[in-house]
Amino acid sequence: MNQQVNVRLAVTRTILWGVLGAGMAVAVVRFLRGLGVTTALTDLTPWGLWVGFDVVSGVALAAGGFVIAATVHVFHLRRYQPVLRPAILTAFLGYVAVVIGLLVDLGRPWNIWRPTVFWQPHSALFEVAWCVMLYLTVLALEFAPVVFEGIGLTRAYRFLKRLTLPLVITGIALSTLHQSSLGTLFVINPGRIHPLWWSPILPLIFFVSAVALGLAMVTLESVVSSWLFHKEAEWPLLAGLGRAASWVLVGYLALRLADLGWRGSLRFALEGSGLAALFLVELTISTVLPILLFTLPSLRQSRRARGWGAALVVGGFVLHRVTVAGIGHTRAAGEVYLPALSELIVSLAVVAGMALVFLFFVENLKVWDEIPPRPDHFRSPTTDPVSRVLVRAPWWGAVQQAAGAWVVGAILGVVILEAGAGHGAAARPDPVVGPGAIGIRRIPNGGGPGVRLVLAGAGDPAPAADVALSTALLLDGNGDGRYVLFEHELHQARLGGASSCERCHHRTVPALRATSCTRCHRDMYAPTDTFNHARHAAAVGGNRSCERCHPAGAAKVRAASEPCVSCHRQDQVRPAPFPVTLALGEGIAPPYRTAVHGLCVDCHRRQEAALSLRDPYLSRCPTCHRGSGDRTELAVRRGWTVAEGRPRP
Amino acid sequence: MSVRSMAILTDVSRCIGCEECVQACKRANHLGDDRPYGWQDDATALSAERWTTIVRAPRGRYVRLHCRHCLEPACASACPVGALRRSEWGAVTYDPDICMGCRYCMVACPFLLTRYEWASPTPRVRKCILCFDAIREGRLEEPACTAACPARATVFGERDELLAEAWRRIESSPGKYLHRVWGEHEVGGTSVLYISDVDLSSAGWSHDLRRHSYPALTSRVLKTVPATFVGVSAAMFGLSWVIGRRMKLAARGTEPAAEGARRGGEE
Repeated sequence: MNQQVNVRLAVTRTILWGVLGAGMAVAVVRFLRGLGVTTALTDLTPWGLWVGFDVVSGVALAAGGFVIAATVHVFHLRRYQPVLRPAILTAFLGYVAVVIGLLVDLGRPWNIWRPTVFWQPHSALFEVAWCVMLYLTVLALEFAPVVFEGIGLTRAYRFLKRLTLPLVITGIALSTLHQSSLGTLFVINPGRIHPLWWSPILPLIFFVSAVALGLAMVTLESVVSSWLFHKEAEWPLLAGLGRAASWVLVGYLALRLADLGWRGSLRFALEGSGLAALFLVELTISTVLPILLFTLPSLRQSRRARGWGAALVVGGFVLHRVTVAGIGHTRAAGEVYLPALSELIVSLAVVAGMALVFLFFVENLKVWDEIPPRPDHFRSPTTDPVSRVLVRAPWWGAVQQAAGAWVVGAILGVVILEAGAGHGAAARPDPVVGPGAIGIRRIPNGGGPGVRLVLAGAGDPAPAADVALSTALLLDGNGDGRYVLFEHELHQARLGGASSCERCHHRTVPALRATSCTRCHRDMYAPTDTFNHARHAAAVGGNRSCERCHPAGAAKVRAASEPCVSCHRQDQVRPAPFPVTLALGEGIAPPYRTAVHGLCVDCHRRQEAALSLRDPYLSRCPTCHRGSGDRTELAVRRGWTVAEGRPRP
Repeated sequence: MSVRSMAILTDVSRCIGCEECVQACKRANHLGDDRPYGWQDDATALSAERWTTIVRAPRGRYVRLHCRHCLEPACASACPVGALRRSEWGAVTYDPDICMGCRYCMVACPFLLTRYEWASPTPRVRKCILCFDAIREGRLEEPACTAACPARATVFGERDELLAEAWRRIESSPGKYLHRVWGEHEVGGTSVLYISDVDLSSAGWSHDLRRHSYPALTSRVLKTVPATFVGVSAAMFGLSWVIGRRMKLAARGTEPAAEGARRGGEE
């Protein structure tokens, strides 16, 4: 057996290493660049797969540990002893996976120790944290005898063996508490989670489903291990677990339906929405189908049915928990969270990592009776006594294979991330829409203060001959249909007529008297790089003229180059609202919104100070962002109205 | 409850939507420029860089959104490390040095008004803190937003007095306002109160909100923790002892002992 190559095991292990590599690559980006680029989480759906699967499901997937421990040590059903060690090992690794998943999900993981010192007993999460911490310790102590036995620490082994019963019972009590507290987490916000899932008895629902999930997980890992290691599964025991699981599942189904019925929420199941379908699918695969598979006389003797039943329970309850923790949070938020591929990869990688540790323990310690430990397997490498050359250990090939799979996986992990993720979260581009023009008339406001602005054309009530038609600009940079009516001619006249362009406009583009704002400020919220390197290079003489801008010996980066103004001095206008400076970041135009607000508001503020009595609100938003007349008090106070229904330019 | 509790009263009928409060908030709290990131609807939505914002309500009304500073804040009760706290005068504050970033506060907020720095590798929870630090250090006398409001649509003061003022306005102009002060009873009361002449259910006051304290939903369950721990432990010890003893007795009756015990355990 030892000498034969187990192909199934080798292939599985290679895949696991690949998944681990992909997840670790994503995790590196997550820690360097934040959750924004690696997850689909939003402010309204702040929890997703990493909480829902790694933590909330992970804890329940590890429930086999306390369920089987109770079966063997409390109920003295000693025949279940053969599945106890694997169950404890799965539980221990499951909780380690929970902690790793949590570390990836936490925004500030270096503070994870704080709940141990600064107690907040009013928080359900605080209780979960403590229970998980304590139970992880208990599980380590429960599994430690296996390790001590393997490495020959007999006294430590005997000592811990004597503590078995107290440890087991502490573990059961802790599990009861935190398996249910995971449900308590979601009780606090009834409005957030869809009524098909929110319930005041979520703690009870989570506890019962954890028991079923624990039984199913033990079955599943026994079936999978028997396939991997070509050994017989503990079928008679698994039949017993299946019977027990079907009872728990019937209880769970009754509990869910009674709860939904009592709260009057059952009607949502038939509302035909996506979530209603999700609910029906979840309940079918987590309970209805497995109950049939475990109990129908024609099926219950079938090993395949038992394996599939367990797999359905696991899949169904994971779906339930991910929904409660993330997908179902659509009600108040009004937006749907669906995990990103990068989130999925990290979650799978956590599982893959634990599966690899599990396989390592199975091969090197006595976890299953039928799979003897292989003490020769990880012998340390030796050197040839004569040549001093390293003699390859038998596991060297496996290491190479694992490393290769890991690297391939890591590359794939980088590939699935969205482009540019390595640079951090990028805002959506919001290209600026240029202004349109429209004819307006300024009509004296019949006795009242100020003037009335009337759009020329359709809504023009009385085009008096003495009221000149002038052109105004309709500014709508973000194209949302809400305009700022900018009286360009009026401003120009007040600022000094035809020679006043540079009071507002840059004149950096040669031969243009005034450059329009949107020529360079091309994005509402992001700066625009306006420097065209190819064009400049061609203008100064191509490849032989680098030193014209890039000093010899200095790096060819913008910060170390000649400032634009050293050539463009003639384009600089004084006094200008935006003196062309020599500062860093030259050639970068600020966002349109920043630039235009800066230009208009600054000038209005100066005018406001000068004309404080005439117009104390000149620099305030509604001066330009006028509503439709009737509801902006300030606009009314200034005596300005704009005809309704402005046509688009 | 004789504790001095400060509050903000926003009169939706007076708000002109000028966003002076938004700009004042940005200046006072040194918030950055708005950016249209993928995780928010648009750049002017409430975000890590925008702790208060203006949304539209029916009939062209403007409603200012920001943290409601609940009298019994669900976020503070949910926080496992105590990073969120209700201060002695009512501001719900946040300490990023303590926070471990679990975002349970965001899940717990009944109004969904907490925001997160998703773009940062060292993210913080971001929300209105009623300018708590500036007021404590004497730099400000009242939150920057209320001080900036040109229409006095949003004002700062003692909660009891503002509540009385709110009802006085409602009673003194019959038919103008809806007969309701939002925040008086919702989720056990908030320190940010609204009166309005239009319904606010589409502007952050969902019909689903309950009138009782939200932390109570959890504390009801958490109260049972010690009893559950002791109870389950005792029951398990008891069961183990009883079953073990019965098996020992059964084994003494039938020979050979070991076999009998095993079978006894199985059945």
